[in-house]
Formats: sequence, structure tokens, C-alpha cells
Amino acid sequence: MTAARRGNLMTLALLAPSLLSAVLLLVIPILIVIAFSFAEQDTYGGARFGFTLTSYRELFQTIYLPIFTNSLQLAAVSTIVCLLVGYPIAYFIALRAGRYAGLLLALLLIPFWIDFIVRMSAWMVLLGRGGTINSALLGLGLIEQPIRMIGTYPAVLVGMLYAFLPTTVLPIHAALNGLDKRLLEAADDLGATPLQSFWRVTFPLSLPGVMAAILFVFVPAMGVYAIPVLLGGGKSIILGNLIVQLFLDFRNIPLGAAVSVVLLAISSVIIVCYMRVLRSVEEART
Amino acid sequence: MRKVLALYVPAATVVGYIFLFAPLIVLVVYAFNAGRSTVVWEGFSLAWFTEALRDRSLRAGLQVSVIVAIASAALATVIGASAALAVVKRPFAGKSLFSTLVIAPLVLPEIVLAVGLLVATVWTGIPLGYGTLIAGHVLVSIPFSFLIVRAAASGLDPRLDEAAADLGANGSQAFLRVTLPLLAPAILSAFLLCAVISFDNFVISTFVSGVGSTPLPIQIYAMLKTGLTPKINALGAMLIAVNVIVILVVMGRYLKTIRKQS
Repeated sequence: MTAARRGNLMTLALLAPSLLSAVLLLVIPILIVIAFSFAEQDTYGGARFGFTLTSYRELFQTIYLPIFTNSLQLAAVSTIVCLLVGYPIAYFIALRAGRYAGLLLALLLIPFWIDFIVRMSAWMVLLGRGGTINSALLGLGLIEQPIRMIGTYPAVLVGMLYAFLPTTVLPIHAALNGLDKRLLEAADDLGATPLQSFWRVTFPLSLPGVMAAILFVFVPAMGVYAIPVLLGGGKSIILGNLIVQLFLDFRNIPLGAAVSVVLLAISSVIIVCYMRVLRSVEEART
Repeated sequence: MRKVLALYVPAATVVGYIFLFAPLIVLVVYAFNAGRSTVVWEGFSLAWFTEALRDRSLRAGLQVSVIVAIASAALATVIGASAALAVVKRPFAGKSLFSTLVIAPLVLPEIVLAVGLLVATVWTGIPLGYGTLIAGHVLVSIPFSFLIVRAAASGLDPRLDEAAADLGANGSQAFLRVTLPLLAPAILSAFLLCAVISFDNFVISTFVSGVGSTPLPIQIYAMLKTGLTPKINALGAMLIAVNVIVILVVMGRYLKTIRKQS
């Protein structure tokens, strides 16, 4: 066996496990989901392969439309809230924190790695009727009745911010950290005010990080379901809840598959847009 | 106006960090509270911890989670690390497409991946259980092990391979005696993080766990839906402790390499 041949075999051996798992666990399952979304529901609740648009037609009926708008709205509002809170944190860590930057980044990662369901239960402790915030306010005499917080939209947003804040800060921090500090000095020398140098230098250069943050918040935010159930009382139905209900409660595989395909399509469009915009930003810079 | 803006950045940072840590601190502190309250301190007690550890469904969930975490992290680390080595060390066509395919599970909505796995089991008739759980967790963990090992491998000096070859080592000797020992810390980090990802996974587990293989987060979720009990706080406090230890081990190594570079 020649060295080149052996080299090729080696490459193949290294690639095979990940290719196999990607095909078996990702590509084929998604193709099956797409096939099922065109399948018919038979009288026993099973699915029969065929080609019918029944599921999609059902999906675009008026009862399901609010679920799409709810989900898109929740994802958009969550993304905006995450950016408003996350951007200054990333800015502070990258440009102001000095030698504490590493520590602040490490601290940011701790909640990110803590069990998702434990983090949500921590918020239930704080926001509940007899929870920490209500009892503290009652004890201080600031309120007379406990405020209902669990089951409200702001509570859901708090949960979303909590879940996605580290994911927002990290890419923006990466973009700001790579920023050539001499550019800011140059802007300063040319007489720009801090605000001007932020808007005309820092912010445009951090845009790739902001876009990555949007991608990493918006796409998963469209598919969440535990946060609205636990903190929002499950009142406003979003795509995540709908998919879980259709598969696990109603066993309506074709309709559930159709919802998943639509969610996948929306996500793919966003990902492709992200890659296009990122490329044009990079080309504009060179 | 300018002062307000100058204050906004540090103020937002402070508020942000309080926001991130206050809930966890409250949860941990009141897990030690003797009473049921999460406000009134009724004395120090470990009663809720013993109660959490005695709960049969939580113990069963813990057992499932530990088994699945170890198995899926081992598989995901081997798969992700070999993909990373191929990308860094070997020439082959379609490298960027391959990398995209490996990282894809990180970017796609997790619920879609979960639906895919569930539908695939329905179609093939594979029963839900440990196997499907491990497969699902492997899928979402691979991008992490791939990215960690790829970062470490691309930081290796390529002259090391040349030196090994000059000294008469063949390909596999150079790999086993030079590359692998140098990557061992990164591979260990990848394994630990994959284990945490699996242990914490919620969405995939909701769809592909079977009867008798319900992992801990799903058990906790079921209990949370019926109401919060101090028992869950105690369990949460224990899980936070385990996660923090793992993060400190991994981050400690990471911070050391950063300090060395600077």
C-alpha cells in the first residue's frame, strides 16, 4: 500500500464517524420529517405515505396563524431585549474591564452551563405568588397584595433573557475584542466625540458579532417551549408548544411534521441571510 | 446626556451580572432553609437534600442521566475529535461543507432535530429508550467537541509532525506519541462539556426518552408543572454545584492557556 493510499484511508477513517452520524441522525431524519409532512393521517391515527397538502392547508388556517405570529413576535422581542442588555455588557468586558475581562467572561459562562431546567426553577422561586420578590415587597410594605408575575408576558421575557443573555454577549464580545484600539485613538485624534466614535467606528465594526448574536437568539427562540409553559403559564401557544402537543399529546404526526418543516424553513432562510450579509460585510472591508 | 450614556455601560453590566447570579444564589441559599419559604429564614437544615436524594423518581432520573451523559459524551468526543483532526490535519475536498454539516445541529432549532429523531424512530420501529436518548445527545454534543478540539489542533505547531517524521516516526506513531498527548487536555474538556450538555439536555430528551428511561431534567420539569417544592431547590443546588465544578475545571485550563499566550 502506498503512502498516499494509506493517507486517504486515514482521512476516510477520521471522517467516517461524523459523516455517518450526520447522515443517520440529522439528514435522514429531516428527510423523513419532510416526507411525513406530505403524508395522510389514516383513521387509526397512523400516517400513510403519499403526497397530500392536507397538513399544510390545515396549518395555514386561521386557528394556527396566531401561533406563527406569536412565535415570531416572541423571538423578535426576546432578541431586541437580549441585544439591549447584552451589547453594553460585551462592550464593557471588551473595552473597559481591563484585566478583569477574563474573570467576567468566565462568570458569564457559569449560568450558561447550568442546567436549563434548574435556571427556570430559580426564576419560579423568585417570581412565584409566595416567591422571593413578592414576599420581599409585601414585607417592606410596598404592596398589599402579591403581584401576579408567573403567567405574564414579562415573566416569559425574563426567562428568555436569562436563557439567551450569555449567547448574546459572547459573539459581540468576540467582535469588539478583535477591534483595533488604534482606530478609536485615531477617531479621538480627529476630533470625534466618544458618541461619534462609537456610532461611526465601534458599532459598525461590531456588526458581525451583533448579527451572530441575532442568529443565536432568534432561531432557537422560535422553537422554545419550556419557558412559556413554566413562566408564562402556557397561555399563549407558540410553535414549540404546538409541536410538542401535536407529537406527544395528539399523535398527529403529519401535522406536527408540517409545523416542524415550516420552522426549519424559516430558520434556514435566516441562516442563509446571515451568511450572505456576513460575506458582503467581509467583502466590503477588504 | 453624555454622562447618562457613560454610566449606561457599567450600570448595565452590573445589573446584568446581578440578574444572572441572583436567582442562582437565592435558589442555593433557600435550599438550606428549614422551612418551605423562599424568603423567611427558618434555620439551617439539610432536610430537603435528604428528601431530594430519597425521592425515587428523582433517583431513577439521575441514574438515567448519568448513564446517558457518560455514554453520549464518550461517543460525541471520539466523533467530534476525529472530525476536527481530519479538518485540521488532512487535505480533502469539500472541507467547508463538511464543517458546516458537523456544526449544523448547533444552529438549527433543537426542537426540529428532536422531531426528526422521533419521526425516524416511528418510521423504523426502533423503540424509544437509552439508545435513542444517547443518539440524540450525541447529535447535539458533536459540534461542541468538534469546535473545542479543532481550536486546540489548529494551535499545534505543524513542525512537530515534521520533526516526528524526521526522527523516523510513521504517521500513526506521530499521532499517538505527539499529537494525541498534546490534544489530551482539549479532548478531556470536550468530554466534560459534552457530558454537561447531555446531562442538562431538555428538548431532545422530551421527545426521545421512553418509559423507564426518563432523564432527570424531564422528571424535574414534570414536578415543576405541578408546583415548586423545596426538594427541587435542593436538587437544583446540587446540580449547580456539579456544573460549577466542571466549568471551573475546564475554564481554569482555558484561562491558563490564554495567560500563557498573552
